[in-house]
Amino acid sequence: MTEAAIRLSGIHKSFGAHHVLRGIDLQARNGEVISIIGGSGSGKSTLLRCVPLLEQPDSGQIAVGDDSISLGEPGQRLTGRDRQAMRRLRSQLGFVFQNFNLWPHMTALQNVMELPLHVQKRPRAECREEAEALLERVGLTARRDAWPSQLSGGQQQRVAIARALAVRPRALLFDEPTSALDPELVGEVLTVIRALAEEGRTMVLVTHEMGFARHVSHRAIYLHDGRIEEEGPPEQVFDNPLSERCRRFVSHHLSRN
Amino acid sequence: MDIHFLLGLIPTLLSGLPLTLELTVFSLLGGGVIALLLNGLRAGSIVGARVADFYVFLFRGSPLLLQIFLIYYAPGQFSFIRHSFVWPFLREPYVCALLALMLNDAAYTSEIIRAGLRAAPRGAIEAAVVGGMSPLTRLRRVILPLAFRQALPAYGIEITGMLKSTSLASVVTLMDVTGIASAEVSQTYRAIEVFLTAAVIYLVLVTLVTYGVQRLEGWLSPTRTPLSARSAA
Repeated sequence: MTEAAIRLSGIHKSFGAHHVLRGIDLQARNGEVISIIGGSGSGKSTLLRCVPLLEQPDSGQIAVGDDSISLGEPGQRLTGRDRQAMRRLRSQLGFVFQNFNLWPHMTALQNVMELPLHVQKRPRAECREEAEALLERVGLTARRDAWPSQLSGGQQQRVAIARALAVRPRALLFDEPTSALDPELVGEVLTVIRALAEEGRTMVLVTHEMGFARHVSHRAIYLHDGRIEEEGPPEQVFDNPLSERCRRFVSHHLSRN
Repeated sequence: MDIHFLLGLIPTLLSGLPLTLELTVFSLLGGGVIALLLNGLRAGSIVGARVADFYVFLFRGSPLLLQIFLIYYAPGQFSFIRHSFVWPFLREPYVCALLALMLNDAAYTSEIIRAGLRAAPRGAIEAAVVGGMSPLTRLRRVILPLAFRQALPAYGIEITGMLKSTSLASVVTLMDVTGIASAEVSQTYRAIEVFLTAAVIYLVLVTLVTYGVQRLEGWLSPTRTPLSARSAA
């Protein structure tokens, strides 16, 4: 748990006049599970999307492993070297979206095989074997030839997690992975995520599931208005926060769950 | 009804079938290539997009029959064209009709392609981006396959439309199914039998194409669930 898997420093991001992220510094050590919580509009999803540069920060530095990108000004054009670094950086991450975002024209198995086969160019037999093993992990061996439209939301999200794992990522990023699910389907997805946390994977999790976040994470971060307002072990952030605003947020959400 | 006349009529009209099919296939191929170029132009620059818009406006906004007439009759009025290397081609009614059909098909097909390219859900493209796919891989593995599925029903209609439109080539003396039919009518004055039989030939062709496209659609989406109807939960 010493070396940093992900390092963000001085991340700023605005959408028009709206300053969404106001200088975020964040490190995820290898094997660490970090939960990011905060109200809507606090910038937590934007922060997570900045890591693989789905949103390009206006300024700041992003590093994943040995690959890093520095940005100095809003809308800066990436150089060829930056683009290469960006591609390498992305290939080390597994990203799980709120709306699953499976490729609708591929079966569950094809979705999981796609990136190892067509981006990482690994041998087909190996990709297939690994994809089947991953689908078994998430309990979907029986549905491997189903199309995304034939799967429930919970099943789609489990396929999406298998797809994220298939690239053998250094770290996993979850962007509100259960927010689009019917309540009765949340549990099956959380079970999978918990198992991943327990096997020592590096994960950053944006979530509204406070009870779950407190249970699985090593560190929690409360974001407010584009700044880190509270940061510490989950016992501190969820049970005894220093910030009054964080206390109100957490108690409101924990009492609901 | 004279059964012997009808039996003799069918092979006569069918002798125009190769030309009808040839015009259809070539105009779809040529039109398809031009349509792809138009989409490239559109993606290239704002000026290119305006040019493509104007092209589509012209060829979709005016009658195909007039486009055939213009391409067939107009070049002959210019002596510099009559004395240039293109004249031996532009003099041929076959070339003129095919050119008009191609240019017309390109306008419609480019719009079908454009709609298809916009069909890939934003999330599916984001998943490809975050997975480290290069823009080319994204196009090849995600955007085009989804575009093809989206565009297929509309393109099926375009195929049958072109098949029927080739009958207009008969006005510049081409002896396709319709051309032979009108020649037959002017000889026999049996308009009802001849034109009805010709119409039945087109009906059969259109039915075959429609069936083929539907089979392809079914094969591409085994669940028969439209992409747009996917629920989020």
